[in-house]
Amino acid sequence: MTAAGKYWRIAIGVAVIAALIIVPMNFNRYGLFILSQWAVMTIAAMGLNLTLGYAGQVSLAQGAFVGIGAYAAAIMTTQGMPLIAALGVAIVLCFAIGWILGYPALRVQHHYLAFVTLAFSTLAFLVFRNEDWLTKGIYGISNIPRPNVLGFATSRPLPFYYFCLGSLGVVSLAMWWLIRSPWGRAFVALRENPVRALSLGIDTRRYTLMAFAIGSALGGVAGTLYAPLTQYIDPVPFNLSLSLDLLMMVIVGGSGFFFGPLLGAMIAVLLPEWLRFTQGYYLMLYAVAVMLLLIYSPSGILGILDRYLTERRTKVASALRAVTKSRLETAP
Amino acid sequence: MRSRIFAGLLLATVSAATAFAQGAPIKLADVAELSGGGATVGNNWKNGIDLAIEEINAKGGVLGRKLEVTHADSQSNPGVARAQVQKALDNEPYVLLGPGYSGSVKVTSPLAAEAGITQIMGGEAAELTQGGNKFLFRTSFGQQSSMPKVAKYINDELKAKSVAIVWVNNDFGKGGRDVISKEFAKYNIKVAADLSTEAGQADFAADVSKIKAAAPDAVFIYLNEEESARILKELKRQAVAAPLVGETTLVGQKVVELAGDAANGARGHVGLTTDAPVDLVKAFREKFVKKYNYVPDHNGLKGYLAIYMVKATTEKMGKVDPKKFADTLHGLTIKAASEPGILMDVTFDEKGDIDRQGFLVEIVEGKQVVKQVLPKLN
Repeated sequence: MTAAGKYWRIAIGVAVIAALIIVPMNFNRYGLFILSQWAVMTIAAMGLNLTLGYAGQVSLAQGAFVGIGAYAAAIMTTQGMPLIAALGVAIVLCFAIGWILGYPALRVQHHYLAFVTLAFSTLAFLVFRNEDWLTKGIYGISNIPRPNVLGFATSRPLPFYYFCLGSLGVVSLAMWWLIRSPWGRAFVALRENPVRALSLGIDTRRYTLMAFAIGSALGGVAGTLYAPLTQYIDPVPFNLSLSLDLLMMVIVGGSGFFFGPLLGAMIAVLLPEWLRFTQGYYLMLYAVAVMLLLIYSPSGILGILDRYLTERRTKVASALRAVTKSRLETAP
Repeated sequence: MRSRIFAGLLLATVSAATAFAQGAPIKLADVAELSGGGATVGNNWKNGIDLAIEEINAKGGVLGRKLEVTHADSQSNPGVARAQVQKALDNEPYVLLGPGYSGSVKVTSPLAAEAGITQIMGGEAAELTQGGNKFLFRTSFGQQSSMPKVAKYINDELKAKSVAIVWVNNDFGKGGRDVISKEFAKYNIKVAADLSTEAGQADFAADVSKIKAAAPDAVFIYLNEEESARILKELKRQAVAAPLVGETTLVGQKVVELAGDAANGARGHVGLTTDAPVDLVKAFREKFVKKYNYVPDHNGLKGYLAIYMVKATTEKMGKVDPKKFADTLHGLTIKAASEPGILMDVTFDEKGDIDRQGFLVEIVEGKQVVKQVLPKLN
C-alpha cells in the first residue's frame, strides 16, 4: 500500500468516527435508539465474524449468546449489582460455553456444525423461557437500570448511545489487534486449509475452540449492552431468528472483512427502518434487496469494494506492463 | 401607522393559524404486531382501527377535525416495539394505540407515561395495569377479571373437584394459567394435570392422553384459536368426556369453523366476541366483513373500540387536549346509547381496567349460544 493510500484511510476513519460522535447530537430519541441498537448488534456480529469469517466455523448460536449476556445483565443489575460485574460474568460464561460448544466443531464441519449450534440455540431459548425462578420466564424482566459510567449517568438516550459507541470502539480495537496478531493469522490459516495449518505447527484444535469461545464471548458483551438498552427483556428476541439475523449481517457486510460486521449491521438494522415508508412492503423489499446483493456479490458489500480495488490494481498493472512492453518493442 | 399594519398582519397570521389548527387532523399513532408471530393479532387490531376512523371521518370527524393514524410494525418483537413507540412519541401523537402483545406493552408503557401521552392497548396480562401507570388503558378484560369468572363457573356450575389445565407457553397463555391456578386453589379444586404447549403446535395426541390419564372433572383450555381447534378434535378422537371450558379463544367462530363437530359442547367466558347477541356488535361484524372479507377476532373489536374511546373522551372534554385525556378517561362511563361505536356500555376505572358485560357461551350444533349474560359490575 502506498503512503498516500494509508493517509486516505486514516482520514476516512477519523471522519467516520467524528460523524458518529457529532451527527447524532441533535437526533431524536428514536434515531439514537436505532443507532445504539446498531452499535450493540455490530459487537455481536464482530464476534460471529471471528468465528465464521476468520476461523470458518458456521455458528447459528450467536443469538443465544447475546441472550445469555442480556439475561446476565438483567438479572444482576436488577439485583443492584453493577453492570461491569454482569459484563464479567457474561464474558466468562459465554467464553466457557463457547469453548464447550466448540468441541463438536473439531469433529463436524459446515452444515453439521450448524445443526449442533442450532440445537444449542433452541436449548438456550427453552432455558430462558422455562426456568422461571431465574429468568422470570415468558413474562420477562423489566425495569433494567442503565449504568453509571465513570460517574456519568447514562439513563438519557444520548449518553447511552455514547456508552454503546465507546464499547464498540474498545471491541473494534481489541479485534483489530487480535486479527493482526499471530492468533488472527492462525485463524485464517485454519479457515483456508486446516491440514496445511496443522503441518505448519498450528494447534488447530486449540485455535478452533478459541475462535468459538472468543466469538461467543463477544456475543455476551453485546447482550450485556442490549439489556439496559431496551430496559426489558423476554426470551422471544433471542430465538433462532436473531442468530440468523447476525449471520446475515456478517455475510451481507462481507465475512472475513474487518469492517464487514459494521456495514452488515447497518444494513440489517437501518435498511428496514429506511424502507418503512413503503408500509406493508418494507420487509419484502428488504428481503429482495438482500437476495439481489448476494446474487451480485456473494462475498457481501465489502466483496464488491474488494473486487473493484483488485480490478483497478490489475488494470494499473497491465497498463504499466503494456507501456513497458511497447517501450521495449520500440527500443532500437 | 407601521405598528398598526404590523398588528393587523399579526392578527391575520394568528387567526389563520387557529383556523388551521381547528381544521388540522388529530394525529394518532399505532404500533402493532403487523408481522411475526403476532401478525393475526396486529392486523385485526389495525383493520379495526382503520374501519372506525373511516366511519368517524365520513361523519365529519371528532369536534370537526378528522382523525389520522400512522401504523408502525413492531415485528412482534419488544425491542422493535420500543423503537417504534419512541418514534411515534417523538412525533407527539394525540393518543398512542397498541401494541397487542403484553411484553411489548410492558417495554413501551413507561415511555408513553414519561411523555405524558395516553396509551390504549390490546394486552391482557394481569400485571400491566397494576404498576400504577396513569396513562395506560385496556380495550378488553385483563386476565385478573376474566379468569375468576371462569373459575367460579367451573366451581359453582360444574361442581368440579379436579381440573386439567392446558395452556400455550407465551405471555398470554402463561398469564392466564397463573391467574386461574390461584383461583382454583381458592376453591380447593385440584389441578390434576398442568400441560404447557407450544404456539403453533400441530399434534396434541400426547397432551390429550395425559388428560385422559389424569381423569379430571373438567378441562380448562387456554390456547390460541388454531391450536384450540386442533386440541378439540383430538379430545373428541380420544373420547374425553369431561366438560371443556375456556375463554374467548376456545369458543370463537374460527374455532367452530376449523374444528367442526368437535367444537360442540365447548364452553367459555367471552368478553368481546363478534358473535355476541348485541345488535351493534352484529352490525360491526357486517361492516368489517364487507370491508375486509373475513370475520374479525376479538382483536379487530379491540382496535375499533380504541378509536371510539378516543372519540368519546375527546367529546367529553370538548377539546383536543392530550394532557387531560387520561384524567378524563379514568372513571368515564361510555354508553352505547349515546356513542353507538362503543358497542356495549363500558366503564374505565382508576387503573385503566375495563368494566363491561361478558358472556358465558356454549357451542351447540356449530353455533355459539349465549347461556348466561354476566352483567357489568357497576
